Amino acid sequence: MIYITRMMGKPVVDAAGETIGTINDIAISPGEVFPRVTSLAFLGPGKTPFMLSWRKYVADIDEDRVTLQVPRAELRFSYLQPDEVLLSHDLLNKQIVDTQGMKVVRVNDLKLSESRGQLRLLGAEVGVRGLLRGLSPRLETLTARLAKLFGGSLTENIIAWNYIDLLDRDLSHVKLSVTHKRLHELHPADVADILEQLAPNQRAKVFEHLDNDQAAEAISELDDELQADVLEDLTNERASDILEIMDPDDAADIIGDLPYDKAEILLRLMGVREARQVRKLLGYRENSAGGIMTPEAITVSAQLSVQEVIDRLRSTVEKAENVYSIYVVSDGRVLQGVVPLRDLIVSGPEVRIADIMSTEYFSVGPDDDQEAVAEMMSKYDLLALPVVDESGRVLGMVTVDDALDVMEQEAAEDLALATGYSQGAQGAWLSLRRTGSWALAWAVIAFAIAALVRNGAGGTPSPLTWVFVAAALLPIVLRLTEDIASRATSGLIEAPGESGRTGLARRLVADAALGVGLGVAAGLAVLAVLDVALKDPTVAAVFAVPTALSILLTTLAATVVAYVAERLSDTGRRVSQTALTAGLVLLAAALYLAFAYIGAGMAAGALAKMTIG
Amino acid sequence: MTARAATDTQPIQPKPRSRVWLLLAVIGPGVIAASAGNDSGGISTYSQAGAKYGYEMLWMMLLMTFSLVIVQEMAGRMGAVTGKGFAALIRERFGVRPTLLAMLMLLASNAATSVAEFAGIAAAMELFGVSRYIAVPVGAIVVWLLVVRGSFRNVEKVLLGLSLVFITYIITAFAAKPDWLVVGHALVTPSVRFDPGFFSLAVALTGTTVAPWMQFFVQSNIVDKGTSIKEWALAKWDVIAGAVAANFVAIFIIVTTATVLHPNPATRNITEASQAAVALTPLVGQYATVLFAIGLLAASVLAACVLPLTAGYSICEAFGWEAGVDRKFSEAPIFIGIYTFVIFVGAALILIPGVNLIAVMILSQVINGMMLPFLLIFMMVIVNDRRIMGTHVNGRFFNAVAWLTIAGAIALTVILLGMTALGIGG
Repeated sequence: MIYITRMMGKPVVDAAGETIGTINDIAISPGEVFPRVTSLAFLGPGKTPFMLSWRKYVADIDEDRVTLQVPRAELRFSYLQPDEVLLSHDLLNKQIVDTQGMKVVRVNDLKLSESRGQLRLLGAEVGVRGLLRGLSPRLETLTARLAKLFGGSLTENIIAWNYIDLLDRDLSHVKLSVTHKRLHELHPADVADILEQLAPNQRAKVFEHLDNDQAAEAISELDDELQADVLEDLTNERASDILEIMDPDDAADIIGDLPYDKAEILLRLMGVREARQVRKLLGYRENSAGGIMTPEAITVSAQLSVQEVIDRLRSTVEKAENVYSIYVVSDGRVLQGVVPLRDLIVSGPEVRIADIMSTEYFSVGPDDDQEAVAEMMSKYDLLALPVVDESGRVLGMVTVDDALDVMEQEAAEDLALATGYSQGAQGAWLSLRRTGSWALAWAVIAFAIAALVRNGAGGTPSPLTWVFVAAALLPIVLRLTEDIASRATSGLIEAPGESGRTGLARRLVADAALGVGLGVAAGLAVLAVLDVALKDPTVAAVFAVPTALSILLTTLAATVVAYVAERLSDTGRRVSQTALTAGLVLLAAALYLAFAYIGAGMAAGALAKMTIG
Repeated sequence: MTARAATDTQPIQPKPRSRVWLLLAVIGPGVIAASAGNDSGGISTYSQAGAKYGYEMLWMMLLMTFSLVIVQEMAGRMGAVTGKGFAALIRERFGVRPTLLAMLMLLASNAATSVAEFAGIAAAMELFGVSRYIAVPVGAIVVWLLVVRGSFRNVEKVLLGLSLVFITYIITAFAAKPDWLVVGHALVTPSVRFDPGFFSLAVALTGTTVAPWMQFFVQSNIVDKGTSIKEWALAKWDVIAGAVAANFVAIFIIVTTATVLHPNPATRNITEASQAAVALTPLVGQYATVLFAIGLLAASVLAACVLPLTAGYSICEAFGWEAGVDRKFSEAPIFIGIYTFVIFVGAALILIPGVNLIAVMILSQVINGMMLPFLLIFMMVIVNDRRIMGTHVNGRFFNAVAWLTIAGAIALTVILLGMTALGIGG
């Protein structure tokens, strides 16, 4: 195996055995799965760069040198061809896209291999091993040995040439290889994954290679926050063209995130029909049926025949997102019935639509909650659901893909809320907003009162201070333990009898660590806050310790209770998670108050002793 | 005629806005970086410079304003032209080995500064009467959570607002009634004292004013915003304004401490934050301590969040590892490892009993000052490389100022090390 990092700077020796320079770069000619090396670049005397044809002049390459077939005088130098790629200059240390792993990585080394007299590029090394080799080959062998000693192995992470796409040098005129997977040939969802890993400038470069259809699909698949950013970087003309292609509901989502001026410019550049649809959708609340619907519902009159409707479908279906059902409307676009696509196809061409439409159908209003709409579609197995206004006029339809998005989004939010154990910042914020703010407000007010009372009384802490501090901290303890309890019992939500429940001892150990961590953190926080607010270390300690202890004990209790409850539910008995959580929170409150009472007693005793002494 | 044609093809133009509005719109990274640059290390170094040597070091601040402006402009321009961060450019221009060196220097400088930030947190909380053994661990956990939970963006504005407390130094300086003629004279008259204390403070002054991490931060901000070289013509004024504003505040900190603390030999050597806080007395009287503590706490927490992130993003960018605060540990282990390391090393060092917080803050800036010239050399090579920068390479004036900065920083370090080695001046 030959690595480019090892070859750089090695001598180039001619047939007479004379060193004529040092290796500077190696050029390949792309076009094959494993491209052939075509040229050798080397630095002659005085650092003058030269280029040689590999096929004509190179006799042999090994780890220490390149040997040429002819003596120096017979060499004819060449130039870099437009379709040649320089390994060190164009690839090494550069960012590339791994079109198989859908990742943006940096090339640490390039691996070449000699077969049947030809040197070929195998691929790019992007792992730690290549990095170590670049630092020092000795470091690489040393680390490899160490890894072996500990039973691991320092594996190579090679990306084959045909899965590499270059970001930096614009090689679009170079046909990289027959089987080469270029970025813009990937599925739009995969392109979106990669786009999310790139800096804005690089993203813009990738977009130059995508046609408008691909760009529209890729943008639809991007994270919400990025969509508007990406669109803002495009020229207004291109952005509006792309928006026209997108489904109106997706386009409306993105335009809603843009600054007003930009949105207005784009809407005016868009086609009149598309812009009107988007504007209409922008009028609905974001989380309503109107916000997720597409206005492109196919509506027909009941007087038509099946054949006429099918003809109409053929001419208009290009523009429609999805066709699942045909909506039959009166003159005023008032919904009268629904014809599923299947019924349309199996009916004879002369049959009247009025005869096959079903007048029993589901529909929703534009202001209905999106979660309710999604649930309805899931419950009745609907592929599409018409959205109608108060007078029954068809506004649009919600399709199954939009419903799936909604359910995914709501499930994530619900899980975060139900378990108090959020996956991201947003979940934590949500749960705080919905349930936690009252605790904070309570604590702040009680603290303020406690601080005032304390200042008024002066000297030793008054009993009133104790009560206020205890009252201030209680909600915080309750909130924390509620989270702990619902987290511990969240296993109950999963399907009963699920295999892979861990043993009690292991869970106790794991949760003990969590409890100690949380308890100490809460205790320290209480200590710090009280120390500042009341300038009294005794009061601070008296409340910090009970807070920590009650949280730790509740965590352990929650683990045991949850374990028992899961066993019970495995055997088929129903256990209410809410009841368990409530019980645990009560336990925490009792523990906290008891500890605080004992602590206050001890502190009072110590103070009394000090005064006597 | 051409203008007419342009309006025809694009009929809907937004109302033409004044340049002032556009200027305000691009303001961001520069001002943030510069305000966060006046962190605990900066405050303590500037206070000490004023208290110990009066107005004597002011001339350096004037010169360094030019250095800072030019270095930040270079960093931002590199970002706008290439769309890549500083670390990525170092890797692509120099290869693995020099990159490792540069990243180790950045890590050292960031870790040292992070120590200073936790020293700042400890000092500020001690002014409130909270023991550092409580304040620092809690601070470390809060900072870590702010970073991991991604809520830093929400808190950032609040912290920035609070750290603007230090702008009161400008008013305080006037309230302290210095002899402005003397100040003006000192600003333009170089003066040097040959003792190690002076030179170590001079290195710290350089390190805190033109801190290495700020260049990485500015550049990656420009890249993240997707600023093109065309927009840079406008966006650079944000960076320049931020740099000038930060140094303006720094100069007034030195003037204030020099006027209030330097005349009395007993307050010439600041060893505790409370002594530095006294400098604000002429303006706010008894509330000086509270005001100083609030500003110090906010500035420290702000910088303590930014520093580990800068280190993590830069190092991962250089070596091609996955990075991002929204990644799970299994996805981006090294990124999360780096910022956790920087935060907790910073916090742990402060917990060593008997550590003098002010001394730690200044020492960290000395380390910054020693690393700075070498990272600037990397920057100079890249910014003058036509293959990378095209026509946007440095002009002669920029090169002259930048190389003078590098030479000056190296000279200061060499003299400091020489004096320490030879034991001159005790």
